[in-house]
Amino acid sequence: MSAETTLATETYRLELRDIVKSYGGVRAIRHADIAITPGTVHALVGENGAGKSTLIKIIAGAEIADAGTIAFDGQLRSISSTSDSIALGVQTVYQEPQLFPELSVAENVFVGREITKAGRVDWAGQAAQMHGLLDTVGLPESLATSIVGTLSIAQQQQVSIAKALASDASVLILDEPSAILTDPEIEVLFTVIRRLTAAGVSVIYISHRLDELFRIADAVTVMRDGETITTRPIGELSVRQIAELMVGGVLSESRPKDAGTSGATVLELTDFSREGKFSNVNLTVRAGEIVGIYGLVGSGASEIAGVIYGMDKATSGTMAIDGTPVTVKRPSQAKKLGIHLLPANRSSQASFSFQSIGLNIVIGELGLLGRIPGFASMRRQRAIADDFIKRLAIKTPSEKQPISAMSGGNAQKVVLARQLVRRPELLVLAEPTQGVDVGAKEEIHRIISGLADEGTAVLVVTSDLGEVLRISDRILVIKAGEIAAEFTGEATQVEILAAAAGADPDAEIEIDIVPTAQTETPT
Amino acid sequence: MSIDERTKAAPPAKATARRILPSPVTGQEFVLIGVIAVLWVLLGIFTPAFLTPNSIQPLLVSIAPIALIGVGMTFVIITAGIDVSVGGAIMLCAVVVAKTMVSADVPLFVALAIAIGLGLLLGLINGALIAYGRVHAIIITFGTANIFQFVALRVFASSTVNGIPGTLDVFGRGEAGRTFGVPHSFAITVVVVIAAWWYLRHTAGGRHLFAIGGNANAARLAGIKVQPRVMVAYGLTGALVGLAACFIIASGTSTLDQAVGSGKELQVIAAVVIGGTSILGGRGSVIGTLLGAILVQTVTSGVTQLGWPSQLANLFVGIFIIIAVGTDLLRERARRKS
Amino acid sequence: MTLVNETRPIQTSGNKKPRGQRNLASRALEALLTQRVVLLAVLIVIVIVVMSLLDSAGRLSGPYDPDYLASSLISAVPLVMLGLAELLVILSGRGGIDLSVGSIVSLSGILFGMAYGEWHLSFVASLLVAVISGGIFGAVNGVLVAYIGFPPLIATLATYYAYRSLALVISDQKPINSKEIQDFYSAAQSIELPVIGGSLPLVPLGIFTFLIPTALIVWFLLNKTTFGRRLYALGTNDTAAQWTGINVRPNRLAVYALSGVIAGLVAVVTVSQFASARPDAGTSGNGMALPAITIAVLGGVAITGGIGRVSGIVLATLLIVWLNAGILLALPGNDGSQFQLLALGLVLVFASLLNGLTKRKYGGI
Repeated sequence: MSAETTLATETYRLELRDIVKSYGGVRAIRHADIAITPGTVHALVGENGAGKSTLIKIIAGAEIADAGTIAFDGQLRSISSTSDSIALGVQTVYQEPQLFPELSVAENVFVGREITKAGRVDWAGQAAQMHGLLDTVGLPESLATSIVGTLSIAQQQQVSIAKALASDASVLILDEPSAILTDPEIEVLFTVIRRLTAAGVSVIYISHRLDELFRIADAVTVMRDGETITTRPIGELSVRQIAELMVGGVLSESRPKDAGTSGATVLELTDFSREGKFSNVNLTVRAGEIVGIYGLVGSGASEIAGVIYGMDKATSGTMAIDGTPVTVKRPSQAKKLGIHLLPANRSSQASFSFQSIGLNIVIGELGLLGRIPGFASMRRQRAIADDFIKRLAIKTPSEKQPISAMSGGNAQKVVLARQLVRRPELLVLAEPTQGVDVGAKEEIHRIISGLADEGTAVLVVTSDLGEVLRISDRILVIKAGEIAAEFTGEATQVEILAAAAGADPDAEIEIDIVPTAQTETPT
Repeated sequence: MSIDERTKAAPPAKATARRILPSPVTGQEFVLIGVIAVLWVLLGIFTPAFLTPNSIQPLLVSIAPIALIGVGMTFVIITAGIDVSVGGAIMLCAVVVAKTMVSADVPLFVALAIAIGLGLLLGLINGALIAYGRVHAIIITFGTANIFQFVALRVFASSTVNGIPGTLDVFGRGEAGRTFGVPHSFAITVVVVIAAWWYLRHTAGGRHLFAIGGNANAARLAGIKVQPRVMVAYGLTGALVGLAACFIIASGTSTLDQAVGSGKELQVIAAVVIGGTSILGGRGSVIGTLLGAILVQTVTSGVTQLGWPSQLANLFVGIFIIIAVGTDLLRERARRKS
Repeated sequence: MTLVNETRPIQTSGNKKPRGQRNLASRALEALLTQRVVLLAVLIVIVIVVMSLLDSAGRLSGPYDPDYLASSLISAVPLVMLGLAELLVILSGRGGIDLSVGSIVSLSGILFGMAYGEWHLSFVASLLVAVISGGIFGAVNGVLVAYIGFPPLIATLATYYAYRSLALVISDQKPINSKEIQDFYSAAQSIELPVIGGSLPLVPLGIFTFLIPTALIVWFLLNKTTFGRRLYALGTNDTAAQWTGINVRPNRLAVYALSGVIAGLVAVVTVSQFASARPDAGTSGNGMALPAITIAVLGGVAITGGIGRVSGIVLATLLIVWLNAGILLALPGNDGSQFQLLALGLVLVFASLLNGLTKRKYGGI
């Protein structure tokens, strides 16, 4: 393959050839080749279902390939368990921190590879190794004895990375590491990664944030439908080209929404605050308008959504719906006011996994299922479900199928449908296309625009920069719980990122970030 | 790249070692010691007979089997499992040993070997089904409980086993069962508890049990051999059931009847949860289990001694379960907030 | 604008080939392995066939005929009802289980006995005493679980002990055998069905007065009411249920209370079957909770919540009851009751192993 000659190195740290993997009758990986050079950051991208996670699991030993070879430093190896791959120096940091909430940070770092002396754990030896380790990943030393369950998600991820570092990894796999980090934390992460690669460690970096890759990766492999399509040095491709390779087509150019006229103010927040999460938020959303709040995890954006919906309480400030001040105490009250919300994390907050699509759609409006309150008819449920399956182009043979059998994009459409069963006045969408492939993403954006066109007030809270630019009429940037900037009309990614980082847009931001879809090559 | 290049000179290792050692107790132990102390004082005041050797010794003998099996049950519950088949297993081990002793006058260590060996086998059956069968522990052990009971009843063949010799008296209530006033069965139990405490705190294998209960998937990904560890927990429980069966035979009469073991699984689980082990796994204490068993038996014995209807004991057990688990929940919530 | 090239269908987990491509046999096999109701129905047929063969070969001590099957249904009444109680509770998720149903049967049974036999209240009033007390006892569980946050195993373990003890204490360990109670025995007898009864076996009255109404009400609750939908939702994912606006706590409290209500009804049934209100009615031997939970699991209820059907409970009970009835004829006396234990244990182990196996092969549930 031409990919090998492009990379021009002799011995790869890790090389997989002709990998095939099936589950039951389904080919998860049709054919995969990947070769990782020592001391480089190798990005792995692809839509959901393309086979990235399966490939990673094979490298990590969590799954065994049906065919193909794996070689480390030129030597053929067989990996049949996680201990095998750990012994070869592979460490994986998953998106969900795979930690033990009841054990301390120190124990979590050493679990599975405890240092033992004559049968007992050598606590002193482990303590010595801990020293300096937490510092390297940006955590205070004192956290060594903290129980992991009491730490924040971002801190837990840092512990996962510390754990990987402590095992002298030669191949470090990072699965969507930046999804839950704030910008300063991402900087720390990149510094750590650069330190590692300088010392010869290879990093496999999986991310949906294509713009990020240009800041950190040396090479990129694109997967689609179970195949590795191509591997190139990062400089040879643009974001648009990578996206097109992932999808197998050419992305449409135009924005899906015309900036139309908007109507009366539906939502108004004045000095809205929740102590410790966000403060002095002032924003309005009008009927027919899409307001985007851009903020990374920890910025307070998702907390604002939660308070609007009544899952949490505001500690000061006012919220008004259609001009009337309200205090929303619980979601059922929010819904009565016409506020609907799509939660950020589908699997834990929205999906009823083995229940039917039908139930997943109607569960928010059970009152519509029967003439007499309290009664529910399957016929009505089916009718409502089938209607939405058609309207939102949900790919399924029937509404009886469990939502767990669907792809991310289709499942997200189901959960979105739930919010639309009774037309909302204000629709709040938190991370509406997280974990959704490019094709479905576009369809969902079109649906959202359509809703706004029909008069719904829409508030989108997202950490996806491309998304917030594409879909919003106005963009508010949240940083550290406060509105850092507001953009109406044109805005560039650079300006938004700068506002989110709190930096001067003309200084410090490295020029090689974020080539937008409009430019061809990164500088 | 070695980690030394990334660290500065290490501070005195001992000080830090003490800091990263897992806590020796969960905190529930102190609450229990307090409650038990109060109960004993009150009982001592209202029934002076309570604090005499005549009353304390049988109490300790009755605590021993529950606490002993409780150690195994604690291991199992720490892995987020459970074993409701111990009652049936007690019955089976007891009847097999009793019949063997009646039909062939075997020496003590043979009886023990049979009991422990059989118990271990039963425990490993449970362990294998749970570790490799992808089934929930509560369901499968409901099933094996029935099967063990069935086999036990077949071995019984009649309603009782009579004429059991005194081979096991060294674990019994009589003079032969004591040294310096302490019943042997209780002493052995305490030794087992201490050994288990050490194992859970200071060995990788012990810490792995907590990991498995905390996040089984992460444990697997971290390279922990989950299935063998789970089998160890259930196997250990079974072996302890065998030993406890010998204690139970010894502390009874020369007649063994079919009610042996009945309901014991719930008593053991009660002792474990009162002791501060979380039913959800990942957290627990064998010392707490011992204290829990002491509390439950104290209540049972105390009720009788006070002349109250003996069924009231169960009411108090229920109340204590609520109080104990309630304080444990409150403590957990407070810890999460900090 | 749409994409120039159509995206290919995303692969889904654990799939089979599209419907049209699979033959009837493999679809039937899948139905057998994944649809618990189908498996149970097949097993019932197998049991009846095997027992009938043994009967015609003269190996049974009595005829295994429709009359016998119908009369053996008397033990199905409390079993199905408590199985339904466990169904409701286990469906609610978060480790839902009710170990205290047996104790509630005992305690409410004593209260019923006192009301009907000692205080001479009317039957209806006494029934209400049983049912309402059962509901209150169940609600205690519900408060502990839903509002205070106790794991259900623990809460119902505690109330198992407490209620059991109260039953014995307030009855002074003596059953209530007054005349009214003894006359009540007629309520448990088998009757000939009106009109068509002539050609059908005699069916225990309890089937019609207690079992069928309870099963129908629970079925209706689960399938035809918004409460039922909410229950399935919160049993599957109670965080997501909160986000949809469902108020989780009162709904969860309700199922534990309902379980207690059903246990109260079973108390009345039990009193009529024994013609005596016994304080250990639900707690003697292994207790009533264990068989009920076994029935629920056999009937296809997922122990983690969100999955389970009334039809599964009913069929599981029929299987066990008719299997036990057959064993009793094949091996009379003590032998028979022992082999019933074995049968129950083996069926449970194999049914759950099957569940685990099919999870791997077919994915999903």
